[in-house]
Amino acid sequence: MNLPKSASVVIVGGGISGCAIAWNLANRGVKDIVVLEKDTLANGSTGRCGAGIRMQWGAEKNCRLAQFSVNFFENANDILAYERDIEFEQSGYLIIAANEAEAQQFRKNVALQNSLGIPSVFLSPEEATAIVPYINATQFVAATFCQKDGHLNPFHTTDAFAIAAERLGVRIFKHTEVTGIEVKNNRIESVDTTGGRIATHIVVNAAGGWSKAIGKMAGVDVPVYVQRHQILVTEPLEPILGPMVMGFSYNIYIQQVPHGSIIMGRSDHTEPRDFRTTSGWKFIEEMTKTCGTLLPYLRTAKILRQWAGHYCMTEDAQPIYGPVPEVEGMYLACGFSGHGFMLAPATAELISEMILGEPLTIDVSDLDIGRFKRRELVREQSVV
Amino acid sequence: MLEKTGIATREQIEKLLPSPGRRAEGPYAVMECFQKIPCNPCSTSCAFHAILPMDDINDIPSVTPDKCTGCGACAAVCPGLAIFIIDESKGGGTGTVTLPYEFRPLPGIGETVKAVNRAGEVVGDAVVTRVLPGKKTKTPLVTIEVPLSLVHEVRFIRCEAHQEEDPSVADTLREIPAPPQTADIGEQDDEVVICRCEGVTLREIRDLIREGYTTVDEIKRISRAGMGPCQARTCGPLIAAEIARMTGEPLGSVAPSAHRAPVKPLPIEFFLGGDTE
Repeated sequence: MNLPKSASVVIVGGGISGCAIAWNLANRGVKDIVVLEKDTLANGSTGRCGAGIRMQWGAEKNCRLAQFSVNFFENANDILAYERDIEFEQSGYLIIAANEAEAQQFRKNVALQNSLGIPSVFLSPEEATAIVPYINATQFVAATFCQKDGHLNPFHTTDAFAIAAERLGVRIFKHTEVTGIEVKNNRIESVDTTGGRIATHIVVNAAGGWSKAIGKMAGVDVPVYVQRHQILVTEPLEPILGPMVMGFSYNIYIQQVPHGSIIMGRSDHTEPRDFRTTSGWKFIEEMTKTCGTLLPYLRTAKILRQWAGHYCMTEDAQPIYGPVPEVEGMYLACGFSGHGFMLAPATAELISEMILGEPLTIDVSDLDIGRFKRRELVREQSVV
Repeated sequence: MLEKTGIATREQIEKLLPSPGRRAEGPYAVMECFQKIPCNPCSTSCAFHAILPMDDINDIPSVTPDKCTGCGACAAVCPGLAIFIIDESKGGGTGTVTLPYEFRPLPGIGETVKAVNRAGEVVGDAVVTRVLPGKKTKTPLVTIEVPLSLVHEVRFIRCEAHQEEDPSVADTLREIPAPPQTADIGEQDDEVVICRCEGVTLREIRDLIREGYTTVDEIKRISRAGMGPCQARTCGPLIAAEIARMTGEPLGSVAPSAHRAPVKPLPIEFFLGGDTE
């Protein structure tokens, strides 16, 4: 399959965001869409993420974006006519507060979430153990729970968007790396790749950790940085966990996937800001310690493997959406700060609306790239 | 020791040996298989039911020496090349060791070769007395005669007469042409389980390759092949070979699956301090 000479839209990045945007645009009738992926689909952050989705956020925008996405995922197998299964399990998220200050913040979060129609509840440790019997209730003072939260299979979900997009005529080129972007009179003219040049006036930068490099090719400084995040997975166990368990002070998220394996991850803000995806000993020591304290039952579970991927971080841990002032035709869908997978349906909807000049389903005009210069940042605190 | 050096100890080997009476009667199989891995061809290969069926595919094989005839069928199917046939009954101060030998060219009968121990050290000379080419199993079996004192030491041979300047392994892999496209493979082959940890069949692998998933990692992501306890040690090369066969790419250009720590499943409590072995 040869690259076309021109395209109406070139999407850079074959992760969940790029594939979802391609499908959404094509579903609205846009023709000649091309997706460029330098490796294979879901090879970057998408395929390496914990693949959870929650509506329990502290920032209103994140709540709304996740709420939209949950509603989409509930019917995604049908909407995308996917023959496999995206494995969306709404087994809930239990988020634990390690101290009174955190509990206070959680009360505010639940009030905000409930005001938006998100059915989260505030729980005592005793009430939390009724949901997750194996959790060590002496280790936290309160919790919040939302049954509608859950997790998916990130590979199948990306696959579902990609296949549905291709069915609508989108052309996805794997193993095709973008090497340059031509800009004339502040307008995008073409994209150079290892497979040739494509003339286009619209480029969607959904390149995750590489979005800074893609921006630079067009002379745009995308204010993001990458940082390694690690995860480990155990052998499959009988269903014992129920919801995803998450703690911000404890710096942990842990969930059992339908297959039975337990997946857990944590952050390390002392990590260097680079593209390493090696596995580290410090992570596994800290991770197992937290797990052994919170869920002692899992101490005998065997770890099968650990891996690493990137968070594409912004200063306020919220995404960057939309056009850039300096270069006409470049749209950003990046800086997801670890939450790009779960927000993808909303991302796709909003980026499509922006490109087509339609009214936005969710007003994300304040999540533009300009907010960093304006210093209008709403810091999301509820992140691991 | 085995876990650190990869070399079984004398004690470990002695536990595998039949009674002295049985050893004097004729050839017998020794299974130097110490690690629980999902692997069972030996247990289904024995026509004499000398190898007990496995309840769990990860079990270590168990041999009944009185039923074993030393025929070598198990040695030829063991993917780990971990089974040897020992004969101490010949008399005259010598015995024979039958070992799997997957190199070309094969030695000739009567040829003197170097006898090598488990650590790869040459411990003496040996004379080749039999060569089974392994047409069906693709694993030739070579029988050598060595002093009786060495039958539990010698586990490999080095054929110095045939040593030539070897190209690097990578070069060799690149030069291996893709096997010919054979459209007519037969229905039964499709049902072969390729990933035994996750129960993925060749049919599923082939369907995915036809759909355009042409790397080992892409197939892993969609089918789970390679995500189980053995971490693609068994299925990874098989899937790569099938990709090469179906796409016509040389095997050397099919990227292998990513290998991830800790390689061998380890319990969470292992990392919680204490024993650091």
